[in-house]
Amino acid sequence: MDKKLSEMRYEEEGRIKKIEESLRAQIAGMGIREGKDIKMMTKQPIKGPVVVSVDRSNTSIGLGLADKIIVEVKR
Amino acid sequence: MNKILLMGQPNVGKSVLFNRLAGARAIESNYPGTTVDYTKGHLMLDGKSVEIIDVPGTFSLDPKDRAEEVAVKMLEGEKDAVVVCVIDASKVERGLYLTLEVIEKGYPVIVALNMWDVAKGGNIKINAPRLEQILGVPVVPTVATRGEGLRELVVRIREAEPVEIEEILNSVGGNRSGTYS
Amino acid sequence: MELTVDRRWDLVDRIAKETVEVGVYRPSLKDALADVTVRPATGIPVAIAVIYGFWMFFCEFAGTLFTDGFFVKIFDGHWLPWLQEVFPFGLGNWFYELMVDAGHMENGVLVASDNCFEAFGVLTSGLFIAIGVVLPAIIAFYLILGLLEDMGYLPRLAVLVDTVLHKIGLHGYAIVPTFLSLGCNVPGVSATRSLETRKQRFMMITLLGVFIPCGAQIGMMQDLIPAQIGWVFLTLLVGYLGVGWILNKVWPGGESPEILMDVPPYQMPTWGNIGRKLWIRVSGFFKVAVPFVLLGCVIVGILYLTGAMDHIANALEPLLTNVFGVPSDTVAPLVAGFLRKDLAVGMLEPIEMTTFQLFTSVVLLCIYFPCLATFALMIKELNWKEILGCLATLVVVVFIFGGILHGIGTIGGWY
Repeated sequence: MDKKLSEMRYEEEGRIKKIEESLRAQIAGMGIREGKDIKMMTKQPIKGPVVVSVDRSNTSIGLGLADKIIVEVKR
Repeated sequence: MNKILLMGQPNVGKSVLFNRLAGARAIESNYPGTTVDYTKGHLMLDGKSVEIIDVPGTFSLDPKDRAEEVAVKMLEGEKDAVVVCVIDASKVERGLYLTLEVIEKGYPVIVALNMWDVAKGGNIKINAPRLEQILGVPVVPTVATRGEGLRELVVRIREAEPVEIEEILNSVGGNRSGTYS
Repeated sequence: MELTVDRRWDLVDRIAKETVEVGVYRPSLKDALADVTVRPATGIPVAIAVIYGFWMFFCEFAGTLFTDGFFVKIFDGHWLPWLQEVFPFGLGNWFYELMVDAGHMENGVLVASDNCFEAFGVLTSGLFIAIGVVLPAIIAFYLILGLLEDMGYLPRLAVLVDTVLHKIGLHGYAIVPTFLSLGCNVPGVSATRSLETRKQRFMMITLLGVFIPCGAQIGMMQDLIPAQIGWVFLTLLVGYLGVGWILNKVWPGGESPEILMDVPPYQMPTWGNIGRKLWIRVSGFFKVAVPFVLLGCVIVGILYLTGAMDHIANALEPLLTNVFGVPSDTVAPLVAGFLRKDLAVGMLEPIEMTTFQLFTSVVLLCIYFPCLATFALMIKELNWKEILGCLATLVVVVFIFGGILHGIGTIGGWY
């Protein structure tokens, strides 16, 4: 099942399926790109940022940016 | 060679490495904010003193803030420099991305696989000799915080040479003898 | 030849496939700690504890142990009496007044001061403030900050505060320039270079310049009004968030970009690195601070000696007493505050006023103008339109805060 990164639940895991063009080059340098496994580490309350883990490194992403990343969630 | 540039992504231990090489006078922290003002020092190489510059950490050569812009400008301003690419050995892939970008620009490069101990502790094995073979530039495992591997790094700086990206494309993955199309 | 982004990543993957072997990873204590400190339910209490611990260390180490326990005794008990004895000319002479002790009038007689706060000479108050109060404060501050930086705690704090700071148009990363500014505004303003848009940099620099007191100033406040300092911080925090929110609405430049930040793993800090960093920061600070404190003493002394200070005080009296509700004597600290805020706070001590007036003066001293060193850097970082915006913000804030505090004091009957 596909969903936006911003909609993933705490500790949910998946594989990055699509990243919007505007964000792609920028976020790739931080190791986040299509085809990578991703895990939701924390979600801050009141529309705060998420922290995700890719290849064992953690990145904090604002919720609006997280909307631009589509993840295929593992069941 | 007139200058040595130390480049790498944020939080790879670049400033600690710089302090070890240049002797002193750099502020190291987990945040790029305090290293925007770059630091210079000198390194004795073959009895000659060579300037070494600690370039602000950048994720890629595609800058997203002023600190990264500074890094890219500094690289472009030093066409004759040798670049020491510092990679976090536990995050090789993203480090390689930046390294390839620098190689593509035609700079002579030497790679420091830093935080080797962290990678080992995390059960990550890296075949450094094979990496060296593929890239065609010196690859030296280091642990900057303990000073390990730094002598070899300094000795091998003079082996750094510009490499054509086609050569790397040809030497990787089963494609070694074939040509890239 | 240069590759496209996708081709380059493809090459990275192929290289990694041949050279990197990732084994099983067992999360360690470090990872558990990393998790606990960034998850809101646990991270926020931890953040509060860390900041409280930071503050307690600052007070105990700098204030109690070094300033009160050591420097006050040396300066008031030995240095001042010794100078009063051996320095030529004596009480009443202008040079003696400038360098050692201005004395004060008691029943029509000029008497010598008995402590370095009141003496107000370059060699007494000047040195006492620089070495006795500010030095321990700065060392304590940068020691802890260096530790938090090298451990990798700050990015986690940035994630936790992003929720709030994003609402006022900054992002969590803004916590770093803010923390640095609590040591000294100058490196704080420099650190804004890592913010992404012009608007963010303008807002951040303005908020730092107006609302963030530096370590030297905090050290002096802690010494002067330890019981009210919490209220000072609260007042400044309200201003920081409130003015930030308004600036975000009125200043052009669009929405602020969202946070996108690497959160590195915790690391064991190395003492060598912390020590080196501490040394660079403290020595750098002192090269600027000590000459400015001493210069400030000289300038204020000269303004008093020539009678100029009285003229300025008379001219500003209606403003100070009617609008802000503080005595006109505070004009001297306000003048000194252009150069050094720590010196200015120290100068409030001998002035006769109520606790609430003292509190108001301390707040006003903080917000009315950044020190000259900071202002010089602000001019370098901002364009003229932004500088005007910053100064306009400053003037409005001073009048609103001064007026409101005056009102509160009147209602409370604290004059």
